[in-house]
Amino acid sequence: MKKVLFMLFAVLSVLVLVGCKDEGVTELQMLWWSDGTEGDVMQTLLDDYLEETGITIELVPIAYNDYEARLATMISGEEAPALARVTEGHLNNFKTQILPLDDVYDTSGFTNLFYNADGDVISLPMDITANGLFVNLDLLDANGVNYPELGDPVWTWAEFETEMLKLKDKAGVTAPGLFDHQGHRFMPLLYQNGVKIWSTPYSASNLKSTAAVEVVQMMMDFYEEGFLPLDTYVTKNSASLFRTGQYGFHISGNWNVSGYQDLTFDWAVVPMPKMANRATILGGKSLAAFDGSGAEKEAKDFIAWMSEGAQHDAYTGGVPYLTPRLGATVNYGNFADQYAVFLDEIANTNEMYVQDWLNQVMIPGMYPLINQFVQDIADPNNTKTALQLLTDLETALKAAAPTS
Amino acid sequence: MKKMTVANYIIAGILVFIFLMPVIYIISSSFKPINELFSSTPTFFPIQWTLANYGAALSRGDFAQYIFNSFLVAISSTFIAVIINTMSGYALAKFRFKFDNVIMLVILSTIMLPLEVIMVPIFSVLKFFGLYNSLWALIIPPAATPTGIFLMRQYLLTIPDEIIQSARIDGASEGRIFFSIILPNAKPAIATLAIFSFMWRWNDYVWPLIAISSPRKYTLQLAIANFTGEFGTDYSSILAMSAISMIPMLIVFIIFQRQFVQGTVESGMKG
Repeated sequence: MKKVLFMLFAVLSVLVLVGCKDEGVTELQMLWWSDGTEGDVMQTLLDDYLEETGITIELVPIAYNDYEARLATMISGEEAPALARVTEGHLNNFKTQILPLDDVYDTSGFTNLFYNADGDVISLPMDITANGLFVNLDLLDANGVNYPELGDPVWTWAEFETEMLKLKDKAGVTAPGLFDHQGHRFMPLLYQNGVKIWSTPYSASNLKSTAAVEVVQMMMDFYEEGFLPLDTYVTKNSASLFRTGQYGFHISGNWNVSGYQDLTFDWAVVPMPKMANRATILGGKSLAAFDGSGAEKEAKDFIAWMSEGAQHDAYTGGVPYLTPRLGATVNYGNFADQYAVFLDEIANTNEMYVQDWLNQVMIPGMYPLINQFVQDIADPNNTKTALQLLTDLETALKAAAPTS
Repeated sequence: MKKMTVANYIIAGILVFIFLMPVIYIISSSFKPINELFSSTPTFFPIQWTLANYGAALSRGDFAQYIFNSFLVAISSTFIAVIINTMSGYALAKFRFKFDNVIMLVILSTIMLPLEVIMVPIFSVLKFFGLYNSLWALIIPPAATPTGIFLMRQYLLTIPDEIIQSARIDGASEGRIFFSIILPNAKPAIATLAIFSFMWRWNDYVWPLIAISSPRKYTLQLAIANFTGEFGTDYSSILAMSAISMIPMLIVFIIFQRQFVQGTVESGMKG
């Protein structure tokens, strides 16, 4: 027995020494998550950076669901990463630990900037997200569904429903289409009907208006009539369902352009239906540098390098993503037609709606509240009316707002 | 009696079916193309078999390294866990000293503390000892577990004290008694502990997520979780890699199954 134990100990000691040897390399770390090819594109840029400067930046992929917990633990444990990919929510939650970047890059060359309480820019915008309508051309064409292309008169939601209902109960079709259960995807509908969340930030809202009720009721009817499937309420994975080729449309966003590159059917992005107005919502991801990483200067140097046109355009064009760099001419390659539609949606969105949506940065927890509201709309067990759901949302938002 | 046996077989068969069905479904689904995976009329087995999910998953990371890391952590931690927990269990079962029962209660009470509650303090301890971002951080802290100590103590209580006393009368040292008498007699419990320990470390996700920051030191579970993005989850790749990650556990269980059953019964433990 002792011999066996001794041999095991010897073998393990060797294995452990091999596995745990000190790397002996000083390097920065960049926390990251990926939905498509963005991690690969960033890695290519990091390789270029290493070649130019001799500085290694290690990309640390983390599952999105655990991203915030991991970042919080690292910061609490005084092991903050030098750099991290962040959302608006992360910027809101960690803005006191994020380094100001006013003197690091030319902020006037970018849109979708985020600020701390002192008015300093705290991140480098890396991409913009916008909502859009993906359609399965094979299914639509096979079933005689008409749809507008860029430049055609934009269809209304009523026209959209009439056309897409041609798919209902057809062979090979599970449901006419799919909708992501996210506030980001739902809010354009309110904006399209002229509803701003806040008429007077953060005390008076428009959420109980007739126009708002009309929009929520329309969505509730979509689910009740089977126009949108309830499967996504459970799976929350509309993109995977759209990939099966059994759904006519997917109301989602531009990030799926890279994710849908390997689909086995023909697809396209077409203009979203409108109500009184056209509107989409801008979102996006940024790059932030953290205080206490011990590599603050190196992190800022990288952000300065990344903000230069060549690198930034290589990222947004490589994924591809909508660029937040003003005046940039990004080559979207084979997806130029798809991106032209997203750019057209943005161009037709009134600035006041963009500002209304950006209020979420000032209200901790606003986005999760809206997400829950969108979930409730699709909840098969929901017994509340559209007005009751909107009233609940208004109450919750006012309670979370800074002036309350 | 015969009727009873048939009934037992039927019940056992139903239980086997219930427990095995998800596992088989995971494996069969890992060979399905995506349109079958998310079909509204799902089938248990693929209509069109494909290895594409495995190819796609393996191309998105250094899985040979992740599997090596997982093996290294699981084997090393299990080895240390067996030594430490057996020694602790032996001391608490066969030696009477002041506050021995209190110590046992304190050890058991730590089971009540979920990892999430003590995450930041443990992170600080790891940093203090220079273990952060080292595979040692996955091997050492979880090696001594209250469950393991309890399991070994309960089993060792069943070994008669007379055997140990006889050895002492014959002049055997305490070390010799432990290695030559206790360890061979505790084989079933050790096998059970080894299986549990290997399974805990192999499937561990939260602890490696906190303790490791370099992708080169990722374990398989960390790498699999990375197929989850903000806007969707790559279920095809997750299924493929989950199927692969089951294989080592299956092998370990097949090797130790006889001792596992005996150890589980005699120590009063259940998985």
